Amino acid sequence: MAQLRIGPLERAERRLGLLLLTPALLLLSSVVLYPIGTLLWTSTQQMHLAQPWLEGFVGLTNYARALDDPRFWSSLGTTLIYVAITVPGAILAGLGLALLANLPFRVKWPVRLGLLLPWALPLVFAGLIFRWFFEYEQGVVNGLLRGLGFAPLRWLSTPELAMLATCLAIVWKSSSFVALVLLAGLQAIPASLYEAAAVDGASPWQRFRHVTLPMLRPAIVVALIFRTITAIQTFDIPYAMTGGGPGHSTETLAMYVHRTTIDVLDFGYGSALAALMFLISLAMTSVYIRQTRRDEGS
Amino acid sequence: MTIGAAIGRRAILAGVAGAAASASAQAQAPTTLRIFTGGQQRPDVMRRVLDLYQERTPGVRVEIEIGGATSDQQQQYLNTVLASRDSALDVILIDVIRPAQWAAARWAEPLDSYLGAERDAVMARYLPAYREANVVAGRVMALPYFADAQFLYFRRDLLAKHQVTPPRTWDELAAAAQKILAAESAANPSLRGFSAAGAPIEGTVCTFLVPLWGMGGTLTDAQGKLALDQAQGQRALAMWADMRTKNVTPANIAEIATDRIRVDMQAGNLIFAMQWGYAWNRFQNDADSQVKDRIGVVPLPSFAGNAAATCVGGWQVAVSAFSKNKDAAVKLLRFLSSPEVSKMQAIAASHLPVFPDVYDDAEVLAANPWFRDARAVVMGARARPVTARYPEVSEAIRTAMNGFLAGTRTIDQTLADMTQRLTPVLR
Repeated sequence: MAQLRIGPLERAERRLGLLLLTPALLLLSSVVLYPIGTLLWTSTQQMHLAQPWLEGFVGLTNYARALDDPRFWSSLGTTLIYVAITVPGAILAGLGLALLANLPFRVKWPVRLGLLLPWALPLVFAGLIFRWFFEYEQGVVNGLLRGLGFAPLRWLSTPELAMLATCLAIVWKSSSFVALVLLAGLQAIPASLYEAAAVDGASPWQRFRHVTLPMLRPAIVVALIFRTITAIQTFDIPYAMTGGGPGHSTETLAMYVHRTTIDVLDFGYGSALAALMFLISLAMTSVYIRQTRRDEGS
Repeated sequence: MTIGAAIGRRAILAGVAGAAASASAQAQAPTTLRIFTGGQQRPDVMRRVLDLYQERTPGVRVEIEIGGATSDQQQQYLNTVLASRDSALDVILIDVIRPAQWAAARWAEPLDSYLGAERDAVMARYLPAYREANVVAGRVMALPYFADAQFLYFRRDLLAKHQVTPPRTWDELAAAAQKILAAESAANPSLRGFSAAGAPIEGTVCTFLVPLWGMGGTLTDAQGKLALDQAQGQRALAMWADMRTKNVTPANIAEIATDRIRVDMQAGNLIFAMQWGYAWNRFQNDADSQVKDRIGVVPLPSFAGNAAATCVGGWQVAVSAFSKNKDAAVKLLRFLSSPEVSKMQAIAASHLPVFPDVYDDAEVLAANPWFRDARAVVMGARARPVTARYPEVSEAIRTAMNGFLAGTRTIDQTLADMTQRLTPVLR
């Protein structure tokens, strides 16, 4: 007990600290905790604006309905495909861009601007731009194919091609964020490490493999966490490019949540779907975080 | 307390307050009303109508808020505004398929008390389809702004050149398109035979229903229960599959939304189109139109031996249940839903009138010669299922149709998908 005793001065400091934290705590609880609480509460209700007379507490019925709903599983599957393709895709493309931007260019701003632009562009705009690229009659991609003597492809109404086109758009859009994170990591690597490696006779590849990559690991993990969370929430780009079509083939879980709540006005079921999406996000993030903790421990 | 009960209580309170306020309304400061309309429903023409209203009604100003191009985009926005009970909008333009949903959600102010003794006389003036569409469970939820139906638009010049008469059946349509395409494709490689909505949007619901109805089929019975006959459903889908096999429809039909059809035809790249009334005015008056005076309009084809069918379309004006200017809003509604405005819209935008007499007006006919036969088509048009859960009905049909038109689902899979999703909703 003795070592826990603190002086009056220190106690006053702590009180002040707590006081200074209060605004942030209040803000966080009003914009994070309150909505999450409301969501969880709504998910236990029957709340469908087209059937207001049925409203009331239904316990976990909405969750049971989700587990029984083939569309929940198919949109979850589509979401996981987006995660599996666009997360490594964005990391690889972002790493390439970061290495490029880290080269000693004399004029740095065009490179940096090129990195920032896709990141600054709203997601829906990116989706609309790529939709025009892949448009059947007038899109540049089919224009190129025709020019080369190939038949045009139905990019946005063939399931596999629509998946490919939306993934390309997502990788283009998100790799710049990854590149920015990795660029910061690259610039924190001391030049002396490269000099020492060069003195030891390491080839450029060996320097990349044994100096750059290990030193970049924390930055890569951060980029992975952010990219994975946003990939689980994939919505805007497929929404703008395909509307989830053809059929349901590019519909993600976030799009199904949106459709259920905003189009159909089934707030209860939509909230349950959103809560499930939240759980999946949480589970995937905790895997990464455990991984980083293990890194720090070793 | 549930949201529904809360809204109900508010509506009652607002009604009482509104009635009390109306007595002293004349003495009040200038009122600004805000009306929501869609980007494709000619906001420019609405502005002209509202300018006239402002001229005649001192003390009232009306602002327009323009929403998305498609019915779905508009409704998505309105869903968020109205579910949060925002009072920013006073009058809202809504699709003919919405009144039942709006009544259930209590978003539209029922108009019966405002119309008072006039109610039945007012409603009797409209075409029957619009009288029915706007009255839900005996209450007037909105008033019609303009009527609509889908028609078969065709290139009069191309049909005449190849001695083809406007088709009356789907088979004739496919044959005519193939014949003209064979002769004209060399001159215009972008020319396509026949286009209809195929993207996952509201219009694609009609792409399924029109051929189904055009063989005497039905989606629901008189009680609103799902009554889709498998053989008829198969035949309707087989018609579209046949059009695809014969290369009559564009290869990317599953990407095509309503206004894209208008754009393609306006550029001279379509022989036939299943399209709503508004397109005529654009073909005739747009500066970039390649098809001025070259378009004809007839009823849509059917299957041999059956009457042609089409979807009831059109737009209604409703007063938001959350408006703070309900009395002024209802007065504006009465003007927007008057024969005078119906005529203005018919001339300026080829919006089909909701009053039977306006079709015979000489000036209206001068601008739209095909209106002479359009009244019969509008009067024979059929309504999509009337239910508060229509968004689910629409979503089930258009998504299944979109997958089918993209060639990813077979006829039987498509019907199975639709039936599985519609059965719990249409019961």
